[in-house]
Amino acid sequence: MKNLDFLFKPESIAIIGASRDEKSVGYGIVANLVKGGVFATRHNESFKGDIYPVNPKADEILGLKCYKSILDVKNKIELAIIAVKAAIVPLVMKECVKKKVKAVIIISSGFAEFNEEGKKLQEEAVSIAHNAGILVLGPNCLGLVNTHAFLNASFAPAMPPKGEIGFISQSGALADSIIDWALWKNYGFSKLVSYGNAADIGITELIEYFDADKETKAIAVYAESIPRGREFMRAASKAKKPIVILKAGQHETGMKAAKSHTGNLAGSYEVYKAAFKQSKIHEVQNVDELFEAAQVMAYQVRLKGNNIAIVTNGGGCGVITADNCFQEGLNLAVLSEDTLKKMDMSGKMHPAYSRSNPLDIVGDALPERYEAALNAVLLQKDVYGLIVIETLQTMTDPIENAKVILKAKEKFKDKPIIAVFMGGKFTRMGKLFLESHKVPVYAYPMKAVLAMKALLHKKV
Amino acid sequence: MADSELIRKYGIPLPVAKIVNTKQEAVDAAKHMGFPVVLKIVSKTILHKSDVGGVKLEIQNELQLREAFEAMEKNIPKKDIEGFLVQRWYPGHWAFIGMKRDSQFGPVIAFGMGGIFVEIMKDVSLRIAPITESDAREMIKEIKAYPVLEGARGGIKADTELLVKILLAVSKLSMENNDIKELDLNPVVINDKEAAAVDVRIIR
Repeated sequence: MKNLDFLFKPESIAIIGASRDEKSVGYGIVANLVKGGVFATRHNESFKGDIYPVNPKADEILGLKCYKSILDVKNKIELAIIAVKAAIVPLVMKECVKKKVKAVIIISSGFAEFNEEGKKLQEEAVSIAHNAGILVLGPNCLGLVNTHAFLNASFAPAMPPKGEIGFISQSGALADSIIDWALWKNYGFSKLVSYGNAADIGITELIEYFDADKETKAIAVYAESIPRGREFMRAASKAKKPIVILKAGQHETGMKAAKSHTGNLAGSYEVYKAAFKQSKIHEVQNVDELFEAAQVMAYQVRLKGNNIAIVTNGGGCGVITADNCFQEGLNLAVLSEDTLKKMDMSGKMHPAYSRSNPLDIVGDALPERYEAALNAVLLQKDVYGLIVIETLQTMTDPIENAKVILKAKEKFKDKPIIAVFMGGKFTRMGKLFLESHKVPVYAYPMKAVLAMKALLHKKV
Repeated sequence: MADSELIRKYGIPLPVAKIVNTKQEAVDAAKHMGFPVVLKIVSKTILHKSDVGGVKLEIQNELQLREAFEAMEKNIPKKDIEGFLVQRWYPGHWAFIGMKRDSQFGPVIAFGMGGIFVEIMKDVSLRIAPITESDAREMIKEIKAYPVLEGARGGIKADTELLVKILLAVSKLSMENNDIKELDLNPVVINDKEAAAVDVRIIR
């Protein structure tokens, strides 16, 4: 594993190409380091280490003394963020070598992603860094954020809330929007990194580093292409933490005609899918799913066997959920005689309850009936997980139901329980209660089914 | 090394076959190995032999064999024919096993059922080599047409462990022969007792 601490936990940072122009990237990066973020939020915190803006034309930026060259800085510099024109990046890199910088982030674009000349510049800059043992992130990237070190070494709008999801993104712009979304949804990240052209550090190194990172519980990845596929598979297979991936670019418009059948059948996306499956990576199809799956995999226990139960106070919702389970390959357990007997004996069941899975406990179910049903079903050995659905009726008590669900979760620690509180205004309090206790709760069944499927793919 | 020798070296079963030059030799060979047989042209210049009428499957008797032979002689330019292959025909399901060397992931192994299942339905499972035995079993069960191998609707119940062996052999072959870019075993005939790669195509 490559130690990337100098990138994610530097003690001192220089910004080469720092600027006074508020509309420039060179300003945004300095502002993010100084204030945590350009857009003010309560999660922004200033970087606690030393910050050295470098710009030959300025004396001061955001109250910090500005240097003509990185070589003019007397103290040591661990991380240099480079935001100058591509053409002079090799020159700047040589200065970084002289200054004994440990890691650089090349924000600038105009390299391999642009043209042949850019590709040469990229190779030149990276080889200078390699020879001196300097880590390189980028070029053509957003930078990175480490919420636990109050480090916003990027031109992202703000610092996302602190959390335990590590996000690795090939795209920088996507990461930007995710931060804004995370602030709105109060969704936390441990670290967030965009790796751009991945001239040196790429998805494989980042997965290995995040897997070893104490502050990260689950890894979310957005990627368009994965070079060095076999190394990536090895890293992902070895990783102990759950990895969720959103692979974009699934449809090739101009797939080359291959000579063999296999060549035609094994399109690049199909190969990726096989690689994900073999390396136990959970694949999703949407951005919201990416983070929902990461969240649920970070905090919920694994679904140890593909056999679950559905408990609902609405028959229709139970059927929808069962359909969704079927679509996603989740099996429904057969409720045993013993389980049914336990419910009958409880004296809490409606005479017309369904007696089969999905278990419809009828619309007038009060919290105590939910409790009796949950207890009986979860005691059944081959029920490995549970989706519990609440629809809102006159006698429904969302908060008390939520408490019953939490109690069941605490009692049956090795079985994942996922709630669906269908509705909006009046179910909201119950939902908030569950969310605050890290019980996954969704507004409709498919989300719960996808979350359960993610837990089936969890390694440990 | 000739393709068939390489295939044999990795323990992939090939059907009993003989290369002949004349119609009479073809008939003798067929009688020796027993009908039904397959007749195929041997050609370096023609890659897709069935497209030019150079493959006749399930020949049941001498008369059919003679007719097939004559048709090939008539329809295919002499310069493209180096000889004729008479091959035993195995009743059973047609499976498909292949390999493609991917630029990022290396050799990718493919499995499906032959004919329309792979060509039209694209019902195929893939894994990156090297694969394990359990990967191979998963690949077989993963395709939608799997019930066919299980003997759905009164069909033959295939001994899928024979397919597992071939999948593992293709995985090993592709790891040890970097010059092979693509490989098709299509069809692999499989029944309750035996399996054989009836047609092999290797692209280097």
